[in-house]
Amino acid sequence: MSIEIQGLHKRFGAFAALDDINLTIPAGQLVALLGPSGCGKTTLLRIIAGLETADRGNIFFDGEETSGRHVRDRQVGFVFQHYALFQHMTVFENIAFGLRVRPRASRPPEPRLRAKVEELLSLIQLESLAGRYPSQLSGGQRQRVALARALAVEPQVLLLDEPFGALDTKVRKELRRWLRRLHDELHVTSVFVTHDQEEALEVADQIVVMNCGRVEQIGTPEQVYDAPATPFVYQFLGHINLFHGRAHSGWVRLGGLRLRAPEYQDARHVPALAYVRPHDIDLLREPEDRDSTLTATVSRVSILGSLVRLELLQTPGGEIAEVEMTRERYAADPLKAGDLVFVKPRQLRVFLQQDAESTSPVHWGGHGDGI
Amino acid sequence: MSASPRQPSVLPGFNLTLGLAVGYLSLIVLIPLAMAFLKAFQLSAEEFWAIVLAPRVLASYRLTFGTAFLAAAINTAFGLIVAWVLVRYRFPGKRLVDALVDLPFALPTAVAGITLTTLYSSNGWIGQFLKPLGIKVAFTPSGIVVALVFISLPFVVRTVQPVLEDLEAEVEEAAASLGAGRWQIFRRIIFPAIRPALLTGFTLAFARAIGEYGSVIFIAGNLPMVSEITPLLIVGKLEQYDYRGAAAVSVVMLAISFILLLCINLLQRWGRLRQV
Amino acid sequence: MTAPSRPAPAATVTEPPWVRGLLLAVALLFLLLFLVVPLAAVFYEAFRKGAGVYLAAITDPYALEAIRLTLFAAACAVPLNMLFGVVAAWAIAKFEFRGKSVLVTLIDLPFAVSPVIAGLLFVLLFGAQGWFGPWLKAQDIKVIFAVPGIVLATVFVTVPFVARELIPLMQAQGSEQEEAALVLGAGGWVTFWRITLPNIKWGLLYGVVLCTARALGEFGAVSVVSGHVRGLTNTLPLHVEILYNEYQFAAAFACASLLTLFALVILAIKTLIERRTARQRRPSSGETA
Repeated sequence: MSIEIQGLHKRFGAFAALDDINLTIPAGQLVALLGPSGCGKTTLLRIIAGLETADRGNIFFDGEETSGRHVRDRQVGFVFQHYALFQHMTVFENIAFGLRVRPRASRPPEPRLRAKVEELLSLIQLESLAGRYPSQLSGGQRQRVALARALAVEPQVLLLDEPFGALDTKVRKELRRWLRRLHDELHVTSVFVTHDQEEALEVADQIVVMNCGRVEQIGTPEQVYDAPATPFVYQFLGHINLFHGRAHSGWVRLGGLRLRAPEYQDARHVPALAYVRPHDIDLLREPEDRDSTLTATVSRVSILGSLVRLELLQTPGGEIAEVEMTRERYAADPLKAGDLVFVKPRQLRVFLQQDAESTSPVHWGGHGDGI
Repeated sequence: MSASPRQPSVLPGFNLTLGLAVGYLSLIVLIPLAMAFLKAFQLSAEEFWAIVLAPRVLASYRLTFGTAFLAAAINTAFGLIVAWVLVRYRFPGKRLVDALVDLPFALPTAVAGITLTTLYSSNGWIGQFLKPLGIKVAFTPSGIVVALVFISLPFVVRTVQPVLEDLEAEVEEAAASLGAGRWQIFRRIIFPAIRPALLTGFTLAFARAIGEYGSVIFIAGNLPMVSEITPLLIVGKLEQYDYRGAAAVSVVMLAISFILLLCINLLQRWGRLRQV
Repeated sequence: MTAPSRPAPAATVTEPPWVRGLLLAVALLFLLLFLVVPLAAVFYEAFRKGAGVYLAAITDPYALEAIRLTLFAAACAVPLNMLFGVVAAWAIAKFEFRGKSVLVTLIDLPFAVSPVIAGLLFVLLFGAQGWFGPWLKAQDIKVIFAVPGIVLATVFVTVPFVARELIPLMQAQGSEQEEAALVLGAGGWVTFWRITLPNIKWGLLYGVVLCTARALGEFGAVSVVSGHVRGLTNTLPLHVEILYNEYQFAAAFACASLLTLFALVILAIKTLIERRTARQRRPSSGETA
């Protein structure tokens, strides 16, 4: 089932939790709502489920307006952040609940119900724990029971609120791969909320990046990572280095660096920010051409498994930038702390400062304020 | 009361449950209370003040609040020790003792009244030892204090106990590692943490003690001006069919009780703020 | 409740042995003097004149009538206040609305009102000179100095017990499980019976037990509205008072011992519930494990 969201608004008192959300989720996709806490992603998920009502705007399931439909009748599966398992029921009864509370006419007979629950138990690989109570399960097991319970009613849409948020790193990685495989088997339209970029990049078909109640970008993992639409998306996904400069008549000047920026043909001495990923930087021993490099000193070298991270000190202001390269590349020319290098960004994206400042300055990972 | 949902919720039954709760509460509690105030205000201001400030009534306030304060203070000191011992130390029979602390909540006050009177009368188990010392407890104001200590005993223990349990041992260990002595740790670390609970317990005990009737009337002797508590005075006025007089004195008591209730709420809020 | 899971504090951060001994002695002596000795005295006085007097006192027709009335008043007050408690707790714990804290405070009000004043309120309403007195007299309905007055007074003083237990419990539990049930297609009523009620049953029982204890033992409020007519408007605590004032000490204590026994049973049930809920809480405390 496809989900279409049009002009959704929601306020809590003076706080705008959702501000004009427009979004289409094609049938059968696994979509991540990604953003920092308080960006409205959970509210959006709860409104899709019918657990909250929007102030304005519409949600269509397969083209059909849903606002009149009670949460009971929406045929959604919802997995709560803390699972909300029924503490006084066994795993079996938790999963069977949605079937047992159906009106008598559509309630499956007991043998069919048992077969269905057992099928789900084997799907989540917990057949042997059917008689246990939620308090006797580990976090990952509870998570899977919550998922099976949601799937038991054969929902048209599966909604998951921070499904792996309460788990430790190792279990989280296992479970999200499992969720991806499960989705590939079942193909039920699924939306999950997360604040973990790695999780979204690894699992989702589409990522909806949200900030301050608005959608910043919608796209595949490659699109949002390689071509961020806004400074916020740049900062939120992956590590970045930030350089301050000015845009003027189609050119951007960042200290010693001068770049063509035809999109800013009309700009006149406007402050600009340039974003560069740490792995999109080349370090040279010799200066190339004067306009395409910056000078810096290596201040620290860290070997991080297959990667090497170098911290650079840029002489005039003393700010720090980060560069990442593979072990092999580093081995070809092992730089040491104190070495003088010339910095050449391979790929760099410039935003005018007034655009950049309209988004909240959330900094994930290292960034260097250059020159 | 204007009670409107601030936020619509998917859970059902808001109007039904709120309506029933407010309706029931109004019928059983609020309307009767309002009627008592109305009754008292049928009196002119001079009449009202003449009744509630009569010497016999003033003496009863002094006695009621004085003995209640003393009993609450005694319970604050001993209640803290009892709570401390129950949380921190191991000793045989601890669980039984812990359960027994609630006895005054469960025991009807009349039973407490006749038992304490028998114990503290001049030939009772305890009274016979006090008599040679020239101490008279039963049928004197000190008897009232004894009864009030009994009925308000659990309050301080039960408010302080959970706070003591939740205190992190690490904080005390940290203080000890910084060179603080045991008494310094108590005074500077533990006491500030339990102070809101201690005050709440004191106020709860005090509020309970000023309204107490059943246990006190047996042991007090009930002499006007000497050992007559305010609730008994109200009953006396009622028995003489002086409804307005009874209502007037009750309104004074109610006003004080409401102020205490407000204090308790504020204290508990303060305690919660402290915990965060 | 104790915290048996807490390891004993290390020697460096506890008091010297003599202080510990002293505190323990003071605490136990205080409790002995104020709790254990009175408890023993009740039974000692009750049986002082022998088992025959004891049996005669508690099988006296007036005593039996008093027991019956006491149980009747409790049987009216407890279910009413149980329903009120559940309903009020649902509204307060599951919804946000203006005036909520006022409502919570109002529920506590009967605790702050002296029992004597509670009784007085109903005399002022329904007594001969009360607001509805003349009208009731015309209809030949007796409330004060009759059973309805006793029931009303008992209901008043026991209003808060169940609600007070349930409100914090349901607030702590939140609404996620109910929401989960609704998403799975359950109706409101089914959700209450199958999800909410099993989750609050121990708290509910706890509140009911405390409410029952107070309803059976209430003295001040009932005394004011009762009129002390033996065999008609005398509850067991009032019967104890009458016997005591007539110097029938053994009989008074015999009846008192019944009430005391009941209080001990209440304490035992209460302790059992506390242990049970403490045990339940422990495994689920590792939610995030």
